[in-house]
Amino acid sequence: MNFFESLYIKVFVNIIVGRDNTVAYIESCSKKGVINSHEESFDTLRINEKMLSVIKKYTSETPFYYISFLDASSSQGAIPTCAKNRIAYYYDVSDSEYKCQDSKWINYTSKTDLYEVERHYREIGVDFIFSPFSVLAHFFKDKIDGQAAIYVLLQEDFISLAVFKESELLYAQRVGMKSDSAKEELDSVDAAMDMDVDLNLDDSIDLDNVSVTDEMDSLDDFGDIEDLDSLDDIDEFSETQDVEEEFYHEHEEESEQESDDFFNEDYQRFFLVQSAINSFYKDVRYQSEFLENIYIADAVGVTGELKRYFEEEMFMNAYVRRVSLGAEVSALARLEVLA
Amino acid sequence: MKYSYIKPRKKSAITAEAKLLFTFFGMTLLMLILTYVFLLFKDYSFTRDLKSIEREYVTLDANLAQMKEQIVFIEKENVLAQSVRTKNLVLKDSITNLFDLVPARITLSQAKLDKNSLVLHGVTPNKDVYNFMLQAPLRSIFHRTYSSFYPAENGWLRFVSTNYADEELPLSREEPSIEN
Repeated sequence: MNFFESLYIKVFVNIIVGRDNTVAYIESCSKKGVINSHEESFDTLRINEKMLSVIKKYTSETPFYYISFLDASSSQGAIPTCAKNRIAYYYDVSDSEYKCQDSKWINYTSKTDLYEVERHYREIGVDFIFSPFSVLAHFFKDKIDGQAAIYVLLQEDFISLAVFKESELLYAQRVGMKSDSAKEELDSVDAAMDMDVDLNLDDSIDLDNVSVTDEMDSLDDFGDIEDLDSLDDIDEFSETQDVEEEFYHEHEEESEQESDDFFNEDYQRFFLVQSAINSFYKDVRYQSEFLENIYIADAVGVTGELKRYFEEEMFMNAYVRRVSLGAEVSALARLEVLA
Repeated sequence: MKYSYIKPRKKSAITAEAKLLFTFFGMTLLMLILTYVFLLFKDYSFTRDLKSIEREYVTLDANLAQMKEQIVFIEKENVLAQSVRTKNLVLKDSITNLFDLVPARITLSQAKLDKNSLVLHGVTPNKDVYNFMLQAPLRSIFHRTYSSFYPAENGWLRFVSTNYADEELPLSREEPSIEN
């Protein structure tokens, strides 16, 4: 660090592209640490004038600014070896850029996607492109040196998961939330579940054995069906509700819909992670270990259902940590600059 | 690079505007420094030339003084040469006049001409010829004249005439009277 550099503050601009928006997390740092941070979301997947002006507002403060980008390539992953003769056993990296981490594992991504990112952000330039697996390993650096566990980074579109045991990567996979194959698999599971229901229905009641007279007594309970006419009062009551209440109910319905969406997404996430764990167990290329714990870095804001799924369906100990991707990417950028 | 796929761009504390500004001021400063250095050099050069000229002046002055001395010496030499030449001319005239004084009947065998004296050795037929034809003019020239005679083998007389002129009476001044 030269004299001039020590006079200036450093600005770290971290860009995270989501499903339908782009988040710019900006940190200003001095020698003492982070001075201030600013996060702003832009309803665009490509850089626009507003985003450009916000970034330039901060980068104009100092010549020492660093633009970091969280890699969103669908052709990325991680491999549990750094030996060049072993890489091809897991993945063909001839068209990929890869980075060896701690001489233990590598994360890779498509060269074309890297060039595309650099081309797309050429107006502001890109200094660092980080893999979500690096973010995951850094975020759980206090955990990955323990016994075998699966670590999951949840993003809106992607799930990056990795199995670490004593800082050694055993398995890694990145899956897309919107991938057709996943949806198809999910649909097929739903269909299978429906089939199970049908089968149960078949096995439930044998109509031939049902006696009509025996069952007629129970039908007496329906004698009160005339009381349904009295429900008019209720209808009238419903007509009298005021506008605010109506709005509240509408909002509640929307929330229920949203929670249904979350529920569906959480289930999809659970399903994808479950599939990945199955792959880990079954794929002979990877050293299989029984997984008891799952650590989830939640960058989306999942409901408690997801944790419950893992605990009840897979009997795993699930731990969910909220993560700010911008802050984590910024932390990596700071490590790169100060290294 | 530990985590990133790409390397960061080179960061410089000097922005493009600052670079332009620094370049401008740098060039200005450089020109000022060059001008200062040029002036320093010229000053040094002038000082050096001045010292050289001063040394040359001193040398020339010394030479001039020496030349003046030489001129004085040469002038003196010239004066002396002229004087010698004049003296020689006078002497020549004196000798010519002296020999003109000697009559044909008297034969000189030796003549010694000194600054204030003249010694003549010769042969005369007799004393009268000597006294009237030679001694008389010699006495008009010199203040003191002494003559001695002794006989020669052929019956003539050998004579030695010693003539002195006094100091305050320069010989040169006598010459015109001799010639007259």
